Amino acid sequence: MRRYPRWPIHFALIVTSFAMLVPFYWVFKTSISGENIFNYPPSIIPRDPHLFYYVDVWYAIPFARYFLNSVVVSVMTIVANIVFNAMAGYALTRRFRGKTFILLLFLSCMMVPFQATIIPAYLITGKLGLLDSYLGLALPQFSTIICIFVFKASFDAIPASLIDAAKVDGLSEWRIIWTIMMPLAKSAMATNVILSFIWSWNNFLWPLIMTRTPEMQTLPLGLSRFLSYQEDTTGALYAFCIMVLAPGILLFLLAQKEFIQGLTSGATKG
Amino acid sequence: MTADDDDLERPRWKRWLLNRFVLTPLILLAIALAWDAYAAMNADGRIVGRVVDARGNPVEGAEVSLWIFNFTTFNEDKHVRSGPDGVFTITGNPSHHVQLMAQKPGLGASPRIPIRLYFRGQNVTLKNPLVLPGA
Repeated sequence: MRRYPRWPIHFALIVTSFAMLVPFYWVFKTSISGENIFNYPPSIIPRDPHLFYYVDVWYAIPFARYFLNSVVVSVMTIVANIVFNAMAGYALTRRFRGKTFILLLFLSCMMVPFQATIIPAYLITGKLGLLDSYLGLALPQFSTIICIFVFKASFDAIPASLIDAAKVDGLSEWRIIWTIMMPLAKSAMATNVILSFIWSWNNFLWPLIMTRTPEMQTLPLGLSRFLSYQEDTTGALYAFCIMVLAPGILLFLLAQKEFIQGLTSGATKG
Repeated sequence: MTADDDDLERPRWKRWLLNRFVLTPLILLAIALAWDAYAAMNADGRIVGRVVDARGNPVEGAEVSLWIFNFTTFNEDKHVRSGPDGVFTITGNPSHHVQLMAQKPGLGASPRIPIRLYFRGQNVTLKNPLVLPGA
């Protein structure tokens, strides 16, 4: 078999990685130097780097409070996504009447943007008395269809004989999910954690319309508020972006192996 | 033996506690607590510096003023006088972003020197003196 040289693919990957990472580097560089992006000539290496823009951000707004709010909402979202999506994903691996219709319904619902459902979501949250609360902030993100399909793909890859054996041993469906399926679907779980965290962490529109007090605002709203406070914001603004991005990047780096596995599980089936 | 098999042989508490998902947040928490402790012990708001004239001689009795950053502008906050050796000590600085200026009749006024601190009220000793233009 003819072996092709590997350097072209490596070269292409290096160029692509560079193109993907340059914006992150530029944000970081600006956050420690304050150099405006329109500076000429542009400098690749930051001049006189320092961390004082981060200090400015910390004191300009109640960053710790916004951070706490974002963490609480994200943790609630992650836990709910794991529980509800696993249950839904498991149900969709079983045979039942109307399964195809349900699958098509889910797929079609993915095409409806959140902006289209935000008014009913607001009204329902208001009727439940959850406006301006952590639960209200997290509630619309408690389950996402993409993540249900991630669990379904992972559960589909588990042999049916294993589930049958568990049933013969007397396990209920509930225990089958949590003691048999979930330990075998760690990659799907990691994917759920990362995706639900990122969506919850970056959510702007929903917290914007449903929070009424500054104490309940999350980091994206804090960023918007910060922009309205400060005029000369170049360095501090980029520092704020790094502070908002850091937890998501850290979580991705921690779970990237499982995340990639979760996204590709089931992709090569058949 | 695969990594997973190896993992299953460890005690359950080790599997739950000694992994990167637990250790990384714990390390970050430890760093944050250490930083908070350091900040709490060094946040008296003390700024120590020196005033010299254009020849580098210490200036006694110069009035040193502290300007505190307030969102968009600096507001004048405190005044102290330098001692016989030109040394001054400001206490109770509440801010992380201040400016200092010294002046004395006959010797003029120094430019305002910006001072950035890593936390509010951080104790700091200035490396460079405030220089009055006269001699």
